[in-house]
Amino acid sequence: MIEIADLRVVMADRTILDLPRLEIHAGRRYGLIGENGSGKTTLLRVLAGTLLPDAGNIRGLDPRTMGYLPQSPYVFSFNVLRNVVLALQESPTAEKDALAALEKVGMASFTRHRADRLSGGEAQRVALARLLAKAHQVLLLDEPSSATDIRGMDAIEQVLLDYWESNACTLVFSTHSPAQALRLAQEVIYLEDGQIVEMGSADELLRSPKHPKTRAFLNHWLIDQQINHSA
Amino acid sequence: MIDRILDLFFGPNPEFRQIVAVTLRMSLFSTLISTLLGVPLGVLIGANEFRAKPLVSRLVDTLMGIPPVVGGLVVFLLLSRSGPLGSLKLLYTVTAMVIAQVLLITPIITGMASNIVSIRAPSIRETCHGLGIPPGRRLWYTILECRVPFISIVLAGFGRAIAEVGAVQMVGGNIQFKTRTMTTAIMMQSNMGYFDLAVALGIVLLIISFTINSLVHFIQDMERRD
Repeated sequence: MIEIADLRVVMADRTILDLPRLEIHAGRRYGLIGENGSGKTTLLRVLAGTLLPDAGNIRGLDPRTMGYLPQSPYVFSFNVLRNVVLALQESPTAEKDALAALEKVGMASFTRHRADRLSGGEAQRVALARLLAKAHQVLLLDEPSSATDIRGMDAIEQVLLDYWESNACTLVFSTHSPAQALRLAQEVIYLEDGQIVEMGSADELLRSPKHPKTRAFLNHWLIDQQINHSA
Repeated sequence: MIDRILDLFFGPNPEFRQIVAVTLRMSLFSTLISTLLGVPLGVLIGANEFRAKPLVSRLVDTLMGIPPVVGGLVVFLLLSRSGPLGSLKLLYTVTAMVIAQVLLITPIITGMASNIVSIRAPSIRETCHGLGIPPGRRLWYTILECRVPFISIVLAGFGRAIAEVGAVQMVGGNIQFKTRTMTTAIMMQSNMGYFDLAVALGIVLLIISFTINSLVHFIQDMERRD
């Protein structure tokens, strides 16, 4: 279990993350939702260790077994296969594992293409394959399918669910889509102004939010859901 | 006049060839040393976050704009007979000119390399961190990703070295068959009203400048097409 206590991140005199307490249970899937600037990326960056908090501590997170996909992952100006292999260099089966990972995200036919020439969605899938080619105990993903189309999004979600199941890992991801959170997460955390407003099981929080702020955030999506339901 | 210029190019004039050779030797050596110093320094400054980084960056920016005659004066004072390095007897040699050029070009290469690296480094750092790639390899990938701009920077450094006149004149002394370069020769010849050699050397400088620019474009085009 990852335990977060009294975590605080301040930037330019503004508190952008303030979490007195948060527990992330091993083997569960967590979705972070909230508006732009709500603190989703900051929380993931602090957990990943790429941003040092101003206060607080995190326990139970081993950086060696953690994998993190930033919001705009860098794809190197090598070919697609080499981009994935570079994350596996200690492994004797690096190339085989890289090909398998690329196959899973539907990028196996692009192995010889230059990764920095791919479209945003394709590059995102390569970056995901690069991360998923290795086994991680904790996976932190910042909007893992933000650049992909609906079909690509479905494929990515399935790949993530398969990976989670076969590695029994903890998954923490951020998304702008409540629908994606519902499909992919078991637990959902709604953040606003760097604070947790509401947290609970995905089904419960997304279908019947208790806090007025969560309801306001989910309003449009809930109305769409009701229309679809009654249709 | 054209005949005389053509004769300088294709005739047996030893001075013309000697001036071109000294200039190329000085420019190549000073660019090589400046690259070996400036690129690693630029990478270190650009790829890392440290408390003194703003101060170091300002210092490099200041040195990037150092007037060549001031750079020349510093080297002149260091190498003059009563200076701290006077015993080396380097004043009015090609070595002194190389030292002055290194002083002027290294900050330019450092500053430009640091700017290029600092644009890419945060994203590469975050991505590599997320993949568990150790810092040494992260730095190597950052250098690899900046390879094309680095080549342009080095060529820009060479362009600066070959076109410099003030510092070279001060520490080299424009000695015939020894330290006379294309720029110092052009200045002296045109001051004396002998324009044949000045124009011929000017043409060589323009050809070199055109070649450097073509090389930069060729590398960039190759990178785009690859």
